[in-house]
Amino acid sequence: MTGPRDNVELDGLLRACVGCGLCLPHCATYLVTGNETLSPRGRLLLFGEVLHGRLPAAAPDVTRPFDLCLGCFACTAACPSGADAVLIRQLKDLGAATRARRCDPLALLDRGAALRALRRVGHVAASVLGQTLGMHWRRRLDGQPLVARVARLLGTVPAAPPTDRALERLIEQLIAKSGLPAASPLPAASGASARAGARVGWFRGCADAALLPSTAGRLRRLLVELGCEIVDPNGQDCCGAIATHAGRAGRVRSLRRRNLAAFAPELASCDHVVVAAAGCGLELRDYPAELSTRVVDAVVLLERLAPAGLGAVPLKVAVHDPCHARHGQGIVAEPRRLLGRIPGLQLVEPAEAEVCCGSAGVYGVRHAALSREIGLRKARVLVATGCDLVVTTNPGCLGQIADSLAIIAPTVPVLPLTDLLWYAWRTGSRAPRSRNTLTDT
Amino acid sequence: MAGADLVKDLKREVGTSAVLVDPASLTVYARDASHQAYGRPLCVVLPETPEALRRVVAACARHRRPFVVRGGGTGLSGGALPADGAVVIATSRLQRLDPVDPDRRRVRVEPGVLNEAVSRHAASCGLYFAPDPSSQAAATIGGNVAENAGGPHCLKVGVTAQHVRRLEWIDPQGRLWSTGRGGALDRGIGLRGLLCGSEGTLGVVASAELDLLPLAEATVTLLAEFPRLSDATRAVVDLMTSGVLPEACEIVDRVMLEAVEAAFRFGFATDVDAVMICEVAGRAPAAAEDAARAERLLQAAGARRVRAARDADERARLWQCRKRAFGAVGRLAPAYVAIDVVVPLGELTGLVEDIAAIKAEHRVEIATVFHAGDGNLHPGVHYDDRDADLIARAQSAADAIVLGALARGGSCTGEHGVGLEKRHLVHRQLDRTSLRLMQGIKDLFDPDDLCNPGKALPRRELAAAAAITAQVPGEVSFRWDSLTVTAPARTPLAELQAEAATRGLWIPLGAASRSRAVGPGLGGALTVGDVIEAGTSGPSLLGHLWPADAVLELWAGTGDGEILRAGAPVLKNVAGYDLVRLIVGSGGILARPLAATLQLKPAPECVELWTWSDVPGAFTAEERRDFVRVLRSHPQPAVVVRERAASGPSLWVAAAGRDREWDLGRLGADLAAWSEDHGLAQPVAVRRTGAALASPALLADLPAWAVASADWTLLTPRDRQPDWPRPRRLIWQSRPVMLWTPEIVAEEPVGWFADGIFRDGRLQLPPQPAAGVPLPLLAGLKRLFDPQGRLPCPDWLKRHLEAAAA
Ligand SMILES: Cc1cc2nc3c(=O)[nH]c(=O)nc-3n(C[C@H](O)[C@H](O)[C@H](O)COP(=O)(O)OP(=O)(O)OC[C@H]3O[C@@H](n4cnc5c(N)ncnc54)[C@H](O)[C@@H]3O)c2cc1C
Ligand code: SF4
Ligand code: SF4
Repeated sequence: MTGPRDNVELDGLLRACVGCGLCLPHCATYLVTGNETLSPRGRLLLFGEVLHGRLPAAAPDVTRPFDLCLGCFACTAACPSGADAVLIRQLKDLGAATRARRCDPLALLDRGAALRALRRVGHVAASVLGQTLGMHWRRRLDGQPLVARVARLLGTVPAAPPTDRALERLIEQLIAKSGLPAASPLPAASGASARAGARVGWFRGCADAALLPSTAGRLRRLLVELGCEIVDPNGQDCCGAIATHAGRAGRVRSLRRRNLAAFAPELASCDHVVVAAAGCGLELRDYPAELSTRVVDAVVLLERLAPAGLGAVPLKVAVHDPCHARHGQGIVAEPRRLLGRIPGLQLVEPAEAEVCCGSAGVYGVRHAALSREIGLRKARVLVATGCDLVVTTNPGCLGQIADSLAIIAPTVPVLPLTDLLWYAWRTGSRAPRSRNTLTDT
Repeated sequence: MAGADLVKDLKREVGTSAVLVDPASLTVYARDASHQAYGRPLCVVLPETPEALRRVVAACARHRRPFVVRGGGTGLSGGALPADGAVVIATSRLQRLDPVDPDRRRVRVEPGVLNEAVSRHAASCGLYFAPDPSSQAAATIGGNVAENAGGPHCLKVGVTAQHVRRLEWIDPQGRLWSTGRGGALDRGIGLRGLLCGSEGTLGVVASAELDLLPLAEATVTLLAEFPRLSDATRAVVDLMTSGVLPEACEIVDRVMLEAVEAAFRFGFATDVDAVMICEVAGRAPAAAEDAARAERLLQAAGARRVRAARDADERARLWQCRKRAFGAVGRLAPAYVAIDVVVPLGELTGLVEDIAAIKAEHRVEIATVFHAGDGNLHPGVHYDDRDADLIARAQSAADAIVLGALARGGSCTGEHGVGLEKRHLVHRQLDRTSLRLMQGIKDLFDPDDLCNPGKALPRRELAAAAAITAQVPGEVSFRWDSLTVTAPARTPLAELQAEAATRGLWIPLGAASRSRAVGPGLGGALTVGDVIEAGTSGPSLLGHLWPADAVLELWAGTGDGEILRAGAPVLKNVAGYDLVRLIVGSGGILARPLAATLQLKPAPECVELWTWSDVPGAFTAEERRDFVRVLRSHPQPAVVVRERAASGPSLWVAAAGRDREWDLGRLGADLAAWSEDHGLAQPVAVRRTGAALASPALLADLPAWAVASADWTLLTPRDRQPDWPRPRRLIWQSRPVMLWTPEIVAEEPVGWFADGIFRDGRLQLPPQPAAGVPLPLLAGLKRLFDPQGRLPCPDWLKRHLEAAAA
């Protein structure tokens, strides 16, 4: 797994772990199994044993904990001793290397066409199942191991309201149901208005563009209305996150090359390259500097643009931070500040906010049972806040949380954060009047 | 393979997936947060319910296989490490919390619940669980109980044992027991106290009923920079003896500061030798007053700068940094020996000087964090496990520090436990009799030595060679700089209270008064020995719970005439089993108190008593609710006495607090408003301050008291036993919540076993301990301490001993 040259350095990194155990309650795989072998401290310890030749690297009981690691980085954020971010990356690679040895059709999910097909099948299947088995179809299929994997694959395909009208109807219904007092929009002067003129490169990201095209469309329009000029180079491809996770280094390299080539002519004139999915955002940070330094998460950009005059959304809203945003890029305050701009909206903080939802790329399908447990745990803490609505910023998390909420609390929906913001903007005082009547796209 | 049958059995008991036997898991579970090595387990079991936990223990007992319970594995003395071939029983799946009972301020939880989760759970009721070890995010309640964990905020309100009301526990044979009724004062043989801090060597905690405290209205956290460490340690003594009792008082030394700053970039000064974190809390004006006083004091003591945390956010970050300090050491050195010594407060500065000398002599680096207000220090001696010479130097430096603390009258461990790590040191602290009794207790509870073997007590050879014999002190001596007083058992408590009062201090032990009006109570004539033997308490405790909490050190004579010294003259101590809590309140059946070191605390500034004369016989539900709401809305502990009397006062309320309008003044105004709302005459109020508090008649106008039911359902005891008389008088206390039915002890206060019953004006003992208490073990303890039966013995125990003998 590692060359002897690296061993000294790795050994040094391992020694940074003082074994205090403070990372344990942040690790989703430990929380749901109670098994310390599946905890960060356990994994680091095993890693050390392997490094020193005291445990065989290839034994299944040794590789399994690494294979089951979500790569969520929650542990590194919790660890007081530091230095293990690199180590967890190593651990992830170790897991990925194990996976790469197997032939895995799931790795093909990084192709836009495959994802689009999956979305269609997923949505059709979900609606058919919903009609035949009733709204609790997920729960009913749950006990069936044979169909469980397929059900999961279909159930966790991220979905968002396909049309603006559908989104509006959903939010309006929620508001009507929620008992929160309606707030009047803040006076427009209380927020800075959109700053015109930023030139923003648009990173499509296969997952976002293919899975949530309408959400991506709304975000684009929102950015434009807030004064951004959008540049959308052709020839873009998947960022490479799925291939990385699957341990397919060759594919990662070729995807990177392709994306760099697509952006090359535009980069110099772009202030930012905006990414809607946190997972892509983190992957892009590993790109060469000319791209990676310009990468900005859509929520962060929106927060900087400080949209003013938003319409009221009197709902209790819980935010789920994708690990790739929270632990990978340190994005925690921005989504909360952004939502804080929406009059009447009440933010609620779930317990275990830093814990992964169990989506983690293709993990949800590969380790269906464990991922499901993790998702259910996440859904439980979210529901415990008493929220009307959950928002998040990564398609993977969106699908996973929707699937889990559907089992635990089918009346609580989960939406992309930017969709909620789009709604507040459209119903607010600053949206362009001509298009303020809401239209289907 | 040896043990295969057991593994099969275990799989049958808890399911295949809950038993781990793969080499990777066995490797992982052979380690914990201590840097100790012990053995390799046979298997790891993850039971999901307390009943499954019990079955697992029973299976181990059947197969005579050693086992160890593991909570969060954050222990620093190696407590959770398995002996070779032992079964590790992990409680990580035992995570259920019952709903909080906001009236009784209690919650029952399973042992795998994380410490922090309890406070989070209780927050919606405005309550929290006080013990907050720095590891609280990852440590479990089972582990906290087993180690009797402390934490920065235990300074004012006490360590885990003071917040555990009742345990359900599994003995090493796999039988489920309880520690009693969970009453206000579980008097009698102190099983609860014995189990707390027993490091999982006497049994397994299956559930714990915890006391919760109300969250403070306001908190001020001061950060003081001290150019000299010795000034900081002296400032602690000044502060603690000044009458301000902080919630927390911590020191971080320079080396540790640098590590913490590098890790978390809080903005600590790193050009000073020490930073002190001092937190005061309470009602907003009180916190402000205390903070101003503390600030002046710290400045006078040599602080370069004192500032308050700006807001809750900064305070939270500050505590995060402090609590993760141990982890940050990982940035300085690959490993460290975490020492956990405690000394009397007055010795703190001396010990710090010792450590500096040891550091130079052994050429090692040491970073120290202090639970300074408790006199508890954690010097971490750095080493690198690849450097044999350094390891040896670090170990000898660590031992030298511990011996230095012992020489200053301290303890080798304040909260981390003996575990594996300090087994070679305990016999240099404890006397021969104590060691013999502790081993006897272990043999009694766990005759086959299966339950976490090889921990907590010294190896038998070492114990046998122990050289210390207990010397009973012959006269009273106050150590004002350490906030303790040592006194022979015959000393009248009132005498000590009077002396303490001259410095604005008191001993938080009840029964300071004798009420002639109502007959002989547990009055001023009581001696230190009486109070310890009977475990008496009373409303005059005003917010303090168990008498044992005030007893730091106890000399006692066993039935066969041997003398033991339990505890140490320090505020925190977990070396060996807690014989103090075992003996205090046991009615003299185990050992006779000979002398004790008691804790001094700042006395209440002022006590006020309100009396109503014509309160009708019974409160309506609404009256009662309103009344309780008034008392609840005030942070001061209040005591309510209610009497069904033909004439004279029939309702009393007493509260301790400050002589200020915003404090007792406000309570008085609320009580007056309540009276008016309910058509009662205004109460007569008497306020006592200063010297008047010192008089033995502190609360002489209150009827005398004794202890009864645990239940606070005000004025209507719920689980009254059918043969109990209807009490004529009831006392309710708001913090900790408890209800007393004081149909008083007429003569000698020999109250024991939790809740007495009252008949013909006398306290009578229940026929036997609460259901679920292990009579055979109590009888065994009696035989161990009093083999010839020379000490008092209640009837039920006699019957049991006779039956056992027959
Ligand atoms: C960074 C750090 C900071 C710390 N700070 C503090 C501090 O401020 N104060 C403090 O007191 N301690 C502190 N500790 C020590 C440790 O966290 C405590 O001792 C804690 O109570 C251990 O809890 P645990 O659940 O991790 O128990 P474990 O380490 O798993 O076990 C400790 C002992 O408890 C026993 N045990 C566990 N569960 C049960 C049960 N259900 N029944 C019977 N026995 C059981 C085990 O057998 C073992 O002997 C710290 C440790 C670390 C790593
Ligand atoms: S990356 Fe996530 S799943 Fe993996 S060890 Fe860390 S916290 Fe656990
Ligand atoms: S928090 Fe860090 S130092 Fe502590 S056990 Fe986990 S990885 Fe190791």
